[in-house]
Amino acid sequence: MKPWKYIVAIWLTLVITAGFLIDVPMIPILLETSRNLFLHVPMWFTMFAVFFAGFVYSIRYLNSFDPDMDIKAETATMVGVVFGICGLLTGSLWARFTWGAWWTFAEPKMNLAAVAMLIYFAYFILRSSFNDPEKRAKMAAVYNIFAASTVPFLLYIIPRQMPSLHPGAEGNPAFSEITAPELRFVFYPAIIGFIGLAWWIMDIIYRYKKLESRMEYK
Amino acid sequence: MINSIIIIVIAFLNYALELFPLDQQYEQYEGVEKAEGLVGLMSSNDLILIVLGVSLIIWFTLLAFMIKVDRKVTKLEQKHESDLHTS
Repeated sequence: MKPWKYIVAIWLTLVITAGFLIDVPMIPILLETSRNLFLHVPMWFTMFAVFFAGFVYSIRYLNSFDPDMDIKAETATMVGVVFGICGLLTGSLWARFTWGAWWTFAEPKMNLAAVAMLIYFAYFILRSSFNDPEKRAKMAAVYNIFAASTVPFLLYIIPRQMPSLHPGAEGNPAFSEITAPELRFVFYPAIIGFIGLAWWIMDIIYRYKKLESRMEYK
Repeated sequence: MINSIIIIVIAFLNYALELFPLDQQYEQYEGVEKAEGLVGLMSSNDLILIVLGVSLIIWFTLLAFMIKVDRKVTKLEQKHESDLHTS
């Protein structure tokens, strides 16, 4: 096992511990749940990072037709969807106890995040409908470039134009000067830590899939 | 390796907890005696440390699982590599 993986393990352990131990300001309604900032938000940042990696791998596949790039793109998309689902579930739970509902269709960010997930589910359905691996890889790469290009609109541009309870709406930044500054000391390391974890998971899945394909076509 | 480390950590925690038995609190009912040591620490701060403990148990279990799978894939890669050279 490579040394950076141990660093990720220790880093994330420290982040989780710090996330529970630092003093957070007690804001009405939010109370202790402001600690969710260290867990729920990094899920989305990790998803963005991993989907972006998948986007790059898909472009590289179309440039080179290297089957390894297709495996990498598929792996990245898979891990991104897992983190996205975690983001949706954690957000739903948090919403229940601060906004009062598990799900609300008046909330643009929540619904558009679900739409982004559906677009990515279609990626796997598309993949499973081809038997020829080369055709599958080409179609999947083209679709993945489309899917990745919808993400900034669905999760960044459109929600900012609309009224919402979610931070980062109506033209305001999600992280503003009214947010307690000490939260940043755990929040930014948490993003780095979870991206590291996602990279580790991607590494394992990619190596497994590569072995599988090598054994099939030997 | 990982398994033995986990066993050592659990054994240590067990030992640490037994140094400060909870039932001391119930020997006398006059007034409430505060628990000391590790148990006392864990009981403080509105029990947030218990949530931390639970989260870390889950995190370490998942981590151990990931390390195990990672090593299994490495072993398989090495086996595949040597199979290619011998055949």
